[in-house]
Amino acid sequence: MTTSPAAPRSTGDRTLFAIGVTWFLAFAVARLVLEQPDLARSLRLAAALLPVPLFAAFLFRFVRSLRDTDELERRIHLEALAVAFPLAILLLQTLGLLERAVGLKYEDWSYGHVWAYLPLFYLIGLVVARRRYA
Amino acid sequence: MRNRLRVLRAERGWSQADLADRLGVSRQTVNAIETEKYDPSLPLAFAMARLFDRPIEAIFEPA
Repeated sequence: MTTSPAAPRSTGDRTLFAIGVTWFLAFAVARLVLEQPDLARSLRLAAALLPVPLFAAFLFRFVRSLRDTDELERRIHLEALAVAFPLAILLLQTLGLLERAVGLKYEDWSYGHVWAYLPLFYLIGLVVARRRYA
Repeated sequence: MRNRLRVLRAERGWSQADLADRLGVSRQTVNAIETEKYDPSLPLAFAMARLFDRPIEAIFEPA
C-alpha cells in the first residue's frame, strides 16, 4: 500500500485555466451570435452548441486534475460540493416560492441568470473548506 | 486523532515541505495532520509509519 506522489499541478492548472477561458469566450461568442435575429436556423444551432465540446474538455481536465491532487485537496473539493449543492437548492427553492408569491419577472431571475450563481457557490464552498484545514 | 508527527519530523530536522515531498502530498496536508484538523487515510498513515520506521500506533492515538 503506497501513496502516489502528487503530480506537478502547475502545468495541469494552466491547461485547465486555458480551456476554461476558451470555453467562456466561446460562450460569449455564442451569445453575441444569437443576438442576430436574421441568422439561419442551422447557424443558430451551431452557435448554441459551440461551447458544449469546450465545456466537456474543461470537465474532463478538471476531473483529471482533481485525481492528481492529494487526499486533503480531494476532501476540500468534496466539502465545497457539500456546501454548493444545498446552496443551489436553496436559491432555486426560494426563487420558486417567490415566483409563486409575488411573480418574479422572468428577465430578472431566469435560468440565464441563476446558473452563474452555481460556480459562485462552489467557490464559496472552496473558501469555507480551505479555511477549515488551513 | 492525536499524533506525534510534528515531533518525529522535528527530530529529523525536516520541514513540512520536506515531509510532504517524501510522502507525496502537499505541505497543506502535512500541516492539517500536524494541527489535528485532518486525519490521514490508512494508506497515508502506513506511508508515515514506514517513513518513520515505527508502528502506526506509535504515531497516532485516538483522541
